[in-house]
Amino acid sequence: MKWLKILLFVFPLLLTLQSSQAQQRFPKPEFHTSYTQPTPTTPEPRGVGMEFVDVLVLLVVLSLTSWFAIKSRSRNGILALTLFSVAYFGFYRYGCICSVGSIQNVALALADPRYVISLYALLFFLLPLIFSLFFGRVFCGAACPLGAIQDLLIYKPITIPAWLRKALGFIPYLYLGIVVLYAATGSEFVACRYDPFVGIFRLNGPHLMIYLGIAFLLAGLFIARPYCRFFCPYGAILNVFSRFSRRHLSVSPSKCIQCKLCTTACPFEAIDFPDEQNEKPDTRKSTRKFILYLFMIPVLMLAGGWIGSKSHVFLSKANNEVYLAELLISHPEVKADLANKDVQTFLASGKPMETLVAEAQVIREKFYIGSWILGAYLGLVIGLMALNQVIFRRKEEYLANRGNCYSCGRCLDYCPVEKE
Amino acid sequence: MNRKTFINNSGRLILLGGLTYLTGSIIFKRKVSASGKYVWQIDPFKCTQCGRCESQCVKNVSAVKCVHAYQLCGYCDLCGGYFKPNSHELTTGGENQLCPTGALKRKYVEEPFFEYTIDEELCNGCGKCVKGCSSFGNGSLQLQIRHDLCRNCNECSISRMCPSEAIIRVPIEAAYQIKGDFVKPAIQNLKK
Amino acid sequence: MNRKVILSVLMVLAVVMIAIVVIDRLKSRVDNRPDNPYEYSVDQYKAVDSTLVRYAETLDFTFGDFDLRGIAFANNRLYLVEDNYLLIVSPEGEKLSKSELPESPKCITASSAGIFIGFKNYISHYSTVGTLIRQWKPLNDSALLTSLAVTDSLLFAADAGNRRVLRYTTGGILSGSFDGKRDNSLHGFILPSPYFDLAVNNDGELWVVNPGRHALENYSFSGELRGFWDRTAITIDGFSGCCNPAQMAVMPDGSFVTAEKGMVRIKIHGSSGELISVVAAPEKFEGETEAPDLAVNPAGDIYVLDFERKMIRVFQIKK
Repeated sequence: MKWLKILLFVFPLLLTLQSSQAQQRFPKPEFHTSYTQPTPTTPEPRGVGMEFVDVLVLLVVLSLTSWFAIKSRSRNGILALTLFSVAYFGFYRYGCICSVGSIQNVALALADPRYVISLYALLFFLLPLIFSLFFGRVFCGAACPLGAIQDLLIYKPITIPAWLRKALGFIPYLYLGIVVLYAATGSEFVACRYDPFVGIFRLNGPHLMIYLGIAFLLAGLFIARPYCRFFCPYGAILNVFSRFSRRHLSVSPSKCIQCKLCTTACPFEAIDFPDEQNEKPDTRKSTRKFILYLFMIPVLMLAGGWIGSKSHVFLSKANNEVYLAELLISHPEVKADLANKDVQTFLASGKPMETLVAEAQVIREKFYIGSWILGAYLGLVIGLMALNQVIFRRKEEYLANRGNCYSCGRCLDYCPVEKE
Repeated sequence: MNRKTFINNSGRLILLGGLTYLTGSIIFKRKVSASGKYVWQIDPFKCTQCGRCESQCVKNVSAVKCVHAYQLCGYCDLCGGYFKPNSHELTTGGENQLCPTGALKRKYVEEPFFEYTIDEELCNGCGKCVKGCSSFGNGSLQLQIRHDLCRNCNECSISRMCPSEAIIRVPIEAAYQIKGDFVKPAIQNLKK
Repeated sequence: MNRKVILSVLMVLAVVMIAIVVIDRLKSRVDNRPDNPYEYSVDQYKAVDSTLVRYAETLDFTFGDFDLRGIAFANNRLYLVEDNYLLIVSPEGEKLSKSELPESPKCITASSAGIFIGFKNYISHYSTVGTLIRQWKPLNDSALLTSLAVTDSLLFAADAGNRRVLRYTTGGILSGSFDGKRDNSLHGFILPSPYFDLAVNNDGELWVVNPGRHALENYSFSGELRGFWDRTAITIDGFSGCCNPAQMAVMPDGSFVTAEKGMVRIKIHGSSGELISVVAAPEKFEGETEAPDLAVNPAGDIYVLDFERKMIRVFQIKK
């Protein structure tokens, strides 16, 4: 089987060499000594097919985490899986490709028909989402290497006031929108570029990347899981999905007895406490408030979309082609700057300015549509977050917040209730 | 509460449906590579030897190395990629060599031909020899990404900075593009 | 560790993170990228002492966006070959006639006996008005004709593919060939690339360029080496790169006008190799790497076929 793979790899290579002989290659010198000409080497990358082993491992880890979190309620089991993920997905696989990055592959594949997406990238995108619909954010709990490394470095987590938590909780949705916009327009993979931990996993990288990683790890000593809580774009999606999960980790194995022993259990403040007063406020007033906030949503969406469209020019500058076109139009003197390789290479390539400008226009159009959608989506997010505040939910038990809980299992050992 | 479970179930169904639709549209309307892997490749005819392959690779020692397409080489005594332009003596002295790390090796074959090989352990992918070879020689030296070294990042850091968009994603079967002819138009002529 | 300390540390880290992102975005902007520390530049050799430049470009003409392939001057006419066409042009650049060719030509020479056009591996003889007289017998597949030179009764063809010079009668009969090997040397003409030029001067001497050795060699018509000179240098007095001069023509007074590739420049060397003058310094070929083809008229004006700009540039000696 391996020979077949080698043959399939080498044969087309030989074909290309063969056909190139018919092209204009000037004959090499005739050597009279016994000199044999070497051939250029073509070293192979890591075996094709190993990526599916990674998908399998992901599947196993997700399944085991679900089992430990919900069925067997073992914090130790989840901790072991966390260590395994840091080792396997982190240091062994260098943290690439990861589910966070797969958002970009999927976005680009949907937007650009020419882009070929690998099946395993698609699976890395889908599997954690499917699991979250049934078991909660088990991916975050033990499978994601970024989450795992932050989880292991929690030292003295501080408590963050609720209003600040909710405000900062908006950032992942914003980041998600930007990541999708930039990936879909083919400009850049932002999540990959500013992934703090991939430099740590590789144990080398550009200086700025390493500094960012160290900054996040240091912050992680005092804020539990800073990237997960306040930045991760995939986490934003998992947050929404997890709210509809069929089963979820629960602090208490059966009914909560309100002993309050778990109040300090969660470093991520993901346990919802029952209200002090269980009185339901004035129904008419609260219904009016609800309806008002509901009708604010389309207004916010329109406003957001409008703001988004106004900023599309600024956002499109991140795209290299657009930036170059703009530079050449607004600062034509840069054409004489011989030290600017990019400008000089473009000028030497023979591509006419009109073509570049036309291409930049197309990209800018995409950014226009994308920014409208981005703005409207952010308006929707803000509207829903506000709406969430005014919905009264009678809380009688200490429950893990379905959207925010990572299913790490720390709280399980705090609860004294016995399983029935 | 029944309402709660109803919302929960329908929400889940909608999201599952959404995921199915998304997956379906990707599988049926877009290109999915099930068996193949995609890797990064430098098109040697677009490369302008800007030096960024050496500095922009996420690895400290770049995964880009100089590769010799021996079929195109003229085996010249005065190799444009080996010697500094003003070399007086054509010897292997370090002061004459273009290569900053001494990775390009010169070996006598027969009068007046010399073989030039690259020691990949020393090569840092700067492209100076490639520039010399393509300006003054046949252009048989070229930069290529070595896939046993390349981490195959989701987005190649060098490709972000490449001025001629020479780094592209290719299927693994066509991973390497070794030059077979030197007649393809090349961007070499920077106004300097 | 009290809360205030932790909070201040976190504030600092937040600032650091934002700074890293901002710096990264600014550094990678197209107008902000760092210079190449491995820059390969031959700019210092491109400057030429202006007292050496004794020729001025006086006339330019072009015939559209076609790939020109070769140039020859004879019978007070300029003969140009482009892909699939032969053009007969007046010395001032006026197109006089155009005739079709069967395939892409490689080289051309002309005399009062007619126009001789070299294709990849065969030569065709045309009349001075461009009608085909006869197509000569083709050579083998590896032949690549790069230059032709004609005397009263003989025609010499430079075959770069087989690394030899062929001798034909003007009637088209192949009467001999030689490969330039000296004494017991293993190799004669060193041709790393398909540039191989030759010419016959007014004294009837056959001069062949040996580009790998940066030499011009004088052969008898039967192929014996009579003399040679070579100059290897990147400075103006020699030939740069691995295989130069790529193109050569002879002046009426027996000196040689040479064109180099890589760092393009056109110079005149004397019969022993000394630099006489510079016709066109590298600045005249900004952004080009291919050596232009050359033809000389009896008055000593030099017609330069600039391949990359697709035009004929005429250089005349300064008054």
